[in-house]
Amino acid sequence: MGVCSGRDKVVSLREAAQVIRDGDTIAVGGALSARQPLALIREMIRQGRKDLASVGGAHGVDVDLLVAAGLLKSVQHSYVGFENDFGLAPNYRRVCQEGGVEILETDCNVILQRLRAASFGVPFLPMPRIAGIDLLEGNPAFRVVACPFTGETLTAVRALRPDVALIHGLKGDRAGNVHLPHPHFMDGLLATAAARTVVTVEEIVAEEEVRRLGVSIPHYLVTALAERPFGAHPTSCYPAYAYDRRHLAEYVRLAKAGKETFQRDYLDAYVNSVTEEDYLRRVGDGEHFARLTGWKDGVAAWQEVFAE
Amino acid sequence: MRAYCTVDELMAVALARTIEDHAVVFNGVAVALPYLAILLAQKTHAPNCVFLAGLPAGVDPHPPFLPPTAGDALLLQAAVVTLPLHEIFDLAQRGELDRSFLGGGQIDRHGNLNNAWIGCDGMRVRLPGGAGAGSLSCFARKFTVWSGRHRGNGRSTLVERVDFITTVGHDTPAGSRSALHLKGGGPDRVVTDLCTFDFSGGEMRLKTLHPGISLTCVLGNMGFQPRIPGSLVQTPPPTAEEIQIIRRLDPLKVRQREFSPRQLERKFPVA
Repeated sequence: MGVCSGRDKVVSLREAAQVIRDGDTIAVGGALSARQPLALIREMIRQGRKDLASVGGAHGVDVDLLVAAGLLKSVQHSYVGFENDFGLAPNYRRVCQEGGVEILETDCNVILQRLRAASFGVPFLPMPRIAGIDLLEGNPAFRVVACPFTGETLTAVRALRPDVALIHGLKGDRAGNVHLPHPHFMDGLLATAAARTVVTVEEIVAEEEVRRLGVSIPHYLVTALAERPFGAHPTSCYPAYAYDRRHLAEYVRLAKAGKETFQRDYLDAYVNSVTEEDYLRRVGDGEHFARLTGWKDGVAAWQEVFAE
Repeated sequence: MRAYCTVDELMAVALARTIEDHAVVFNGVAVALPYLAILLAQKTHAPNCVFLAGLPAGVDPHPPFLPPTAGDALLLQAAVVTLPLHEIFDLAQRGELDRSFLGGGQIDRHGNLNNAWIGCDGMRVRLPGGAGAGSLSCFARKFTVWSGRHRGNGRSTLVERVDFITTVGHDTPAGSRSALHLKGGGPDRVVTDLCTFDFSGGEMRLKTLHPGISLTCVLGNMGFQPRIPGSLVQTPPPTAEEIQIIRRLDPLKVRQREFSPRQLERKFPVA
């Protein structure tokens, strides 16, 4: 089901977002403030995708933005926040507290094991006993089981097969081979666990170049691939660019100001009815983007990124 | 001239000193202080400590400085290798993770932690979530609990009972750690901005007071009475070398983001 054997996967960003359907369970790649497929997410918002369930590990602006735009009916993430950089995720927190989205408590390892079960083609995976933590309370994804060989008490977690994985890579080719820069987080696992995988890349290049860099996700796992420079912005996509701390600060400031302000000054100004080209123009001028791509000029330049 | 350090530095040193040489350690997610503590331990008393550095999952990295976001590729600089994330959890499941660092939005007397929800129905505050701490608290041989908000949070960090258990300590309403058949040994140390604790009979026991902090201050800022030993000692001061290493590793002072400006005004002597 996850295999897609054609050799021409290249689509537009609009078509890539159409691979995600209303009601899907999505697994977003990257983590925290790194390599999240945000151009794809912005396009899903423009297209008005709805009733999605998002599952995954430690995330930030991606989940917060999806929740703010009303695309999610449930969130099953081990962490959603802006770390000690900007603190709690304001939209996520507000909508959770209003009961506007269902929260399914989870844990990084539990999510990993559930995705691995799907990837391994088994209905569940046993793990050493986990107990005493409240995320187990009434959660249908867990069972206490006995080892059939030794009788040892174990925890079984149910396989979780996302409908679609959303991944942003550095480079890809026409057939759909993708090179991911490190860190990969769970991205490779997402591609094997999910029924479909949609990828955006900074640049589509010849197959030889992707092979030279290293194929992280082979073409047969990829459903569709779109080229989108700065497709992870405002998160990082090394070595192309570091994260955009100035833009994230603006994002968090507007999110903290409340629902109406965020709708008007962020969603309407940067996402709805705005092309990706216009989005980047509104984010900053050439000098601003030169700072994000200039991290590699040395430690001082790299430090400047984090001091913005 | 007498040298001084600030509370972030004192805590980083206290955290580092909970790491044994040769230990396999994991820092936790989305926080700088334990990351810094592990790098410090490797450069001082625990040169053989194995650092599995989350979230990017690098082994023994040497970043040129610490960034305010933990997923950044900067944190893989000079690492031996970058692992698939699941390998760190697999190692913990095998019972081979000696120590993890787990922070608590709320901490109770048994060392249970909460990073999910604070308050009850109607007035609930959503926290970011426990990341991998739930599983790690079940599997790690030992873990160090920490919080920079013992003081100044109206007794609501150290509480009699946490509102939601994201991380399991020594005893829970569902039973004790041994009754639950958990693999790991649970928390053995707690480091806060006022003091340090160890555990006795599965309950937190005051161990040391930070310089200039009184017992009254410690107890007045917590919602339960911890066990108190016959003699209380002061938290051993950081050495000049330790402070120098911390400042070199973290020139952007990311470590201070845990703390309020008022907390950072406090000065502690350096040995």
